[in-house]
Amino acid sequence: MKHLNIWALLLLLCLGCGNKNKDGQPKQIAIVVSTLNNPWFVFLAESAAEKAKALGYTSKIFDSQNNTALETDHFENAIAAGYDAILFNPTDAEGSVVNATKATDADIPVFCMDREINSRTAATSQILSDSYAACVQLGKLFVGDLDRQGNYAEILGIVSDNNTWNRSKGFHSVVDNFPDLKMVAQQSAEFDRNKAMEVMESILQAHPDIKGVFCGNDAMAMGAYQATVAAGKEDQVKIYGFDGAEDAVNAVKDGKINATAMQFPKLIAEKAATLADAYFKGERNFRKKLPIAVDVVTPKNIDQYIAYGKKN
Amino acid sequence: MIQQRSKIAKFQSLIALLLMCVVLSLLSDKFLTFANGWNVLRQISVNVCISVGMTLVILTAGIDLSVGSILAFSGAIAAGLLKFGIALPTYDLYIGFTLLGALLAGTLVGAALGTFNGFVITKFKVPPFVATLAMLTIARGFTMLWTKGYPISSLGKEFSFIGTGWFLGIPVLVWIAAIVVLLATILTNRTAFGKYIYAIGGNESAAKLSGININSVKIWVYALAGILAAVGGIMVTSRLNSAQPNAGLSYELDSIAAVVIGGTSLAGGRGTIIGTVLGAMIIGVLNNGLVLMDVSPFWQQVVKGVVILLAVIIDKANHKEE
Repeated sequence: MKHLNIWALLLLLCLGCGNKNKDGQPKQIAIVVSTLNNPWFVFLAESAAEKAKALGYTSKIFDSQNNTALETDHFENAIAAGYDAILFNPTDAEGSVVNATKATDADIPVFCMDREINSRTAATSQILSDSYAACVQLGKLFVGDLDRQGNYAEILGIVSDNNTWNRSKGFHSVVDNFPDLKMVAQQSAEFDRNKAMEVMESILQAHPDIKGVFCGNDAMAMGAYQATVAAGKEDQVKIYGFDGAEDAVNAVKDGKINATAMQFPKLIAEKAATLADAYFKGERNFRKKLPIAVDVVTPKNIDQYIAYGKKN
Repeated sequence: MIQQRSKIAKFQSLIALLLMCVVLSLLSDKFLTFANGWNVLRQISVNVCISVGMTLVILTAGIDLSVGSILAFSGAIAAGLLKFGIALPTYDLYIGFTLLGALLAGTLVGAALGTFNGFVITKFKVPPFVATLAMLTIARGFTMLWTKGYPISSLGKEFSFIGTGWFLGIPVLVWIAAIVVLLATILTNRTAFGKYIYAIGGNESAAKLSGININSVKIWVYALAGILAAVGGIMVTSRLNSAQPNAGLSYELDSIAAVVIGGTSLAGGRGTIIGTVLGAMIIGVLNNGLVLMDVSPFWQQVVKGVVILLAVIIDKANHKEE
């Protein structure tokens, strides 16, 4: 009953609240995402759009195609078109600062989602998932699973992407402390499943004795798994991914890959939309950085998770 | 002397490939093994299929930049139809697809997009570079619309047999590539259609004067490139047992590289299917060898670029006399 009252109150608030422009149009939110070529970001963008709609705003998704210059165009267009807020998933920690500053200077609030920009003033608030810390956790798990010794390989994402190196550095900050764990191959598969399969096939040829492979995302972990199956080594090689995508969650459940790091794109996107909502209602004091924890998912705790989030 | 040189020129790709193999087997004892040999052949089979289509196009002095996107769309169509079929709730209708039906539908989509390329190029005189560049983004967009940006996975054992199975001791993927190469070799060497392709690339006006229906030949060539991209799409999808919305990104570049390394002239009229196969093998062996030796991913890109340059420079030098 108590809950019902709160909901009724919220409903009343929503009906009456100032989510309309002076001319009666609902406020518009621009959602600028680094890429839609990866399901994770599609999910992030869609979650943000859904939440914006639920809050009574219209929104539009802009795809930067991993290109900071294109992102600049999107920002300029969004500013010119009179968008009231930007939910922003930046392409580049340094390069995107200019874009965010442009919007902030035009009095349009910018809320960063998932990825960070290296500025404390350019964005109104940054809701970040901590890739580095998650990979520290994965690294610890990795060391334990491999019993602190043996050869392993690493498959990197796109080598010009800072997420690639955040993840790699977090992992190595732990694993490099164990001299008996030897990285015999470090190769890039550009976050791509097919490329990861090909790279892993070659790695398995060169180093048939590897005990584990750390992959920069889930698509590559799935590709690496396929290669171990083709080589009949799926029991020998332990596989670690990152993202919490549907395929990988199922694979962890089936024991095909050992662990992945679950990020919470929906949580991040909804938080960003909620903050924009608060901004429209007059709130101006935002925490500059809101870290969202990343969970390590293993067969032990897989039952609590679904793709891109926790079970309700 | 000149005759001798052109003889060497004929075999330059083969010599380069053998040379690379010798060097790699000296540098890594893991290179020259049966298992690794099958790996390389499996890995290049997709590129071989696309590149055969690309060779036909380039022989007519055209180019097809849309193969990677057509590959992704056809693969996604086949996967989507196989998994979900088509449901039309308004008519209370559901159309399910058998494996063969889904594969056929994927291939037809590739053929249709390729034909559209050819149509735009011949009827509206749009340069092939521009027409297929447009198709590159159109087909990628279609892929995104069809998959909604998410991979279509778990397509069943029968389907994944194409990508992971063996038949008579040879991987199915390699069979497909070999059949494609055989058919294309017959097409270019033994048929009138093949002669027309070379004639158009060599001198389009002369070909026209001699009564060749240039437009029809060109449309067919782009349609074939589309079909082969679709075959490649089915191969990739089956290999991963999953249709990825970003499959085939920048495959057009790998494929052009294979054609060029194989000694086909971008100006058209000169080149062979078998040369392209060797070109694809050189790229495949290079990719494989560099990973086997754990060369840094930064350097790998440089090395691949240098190899392409060297191949073209040597090719130019050998054909100066003609």
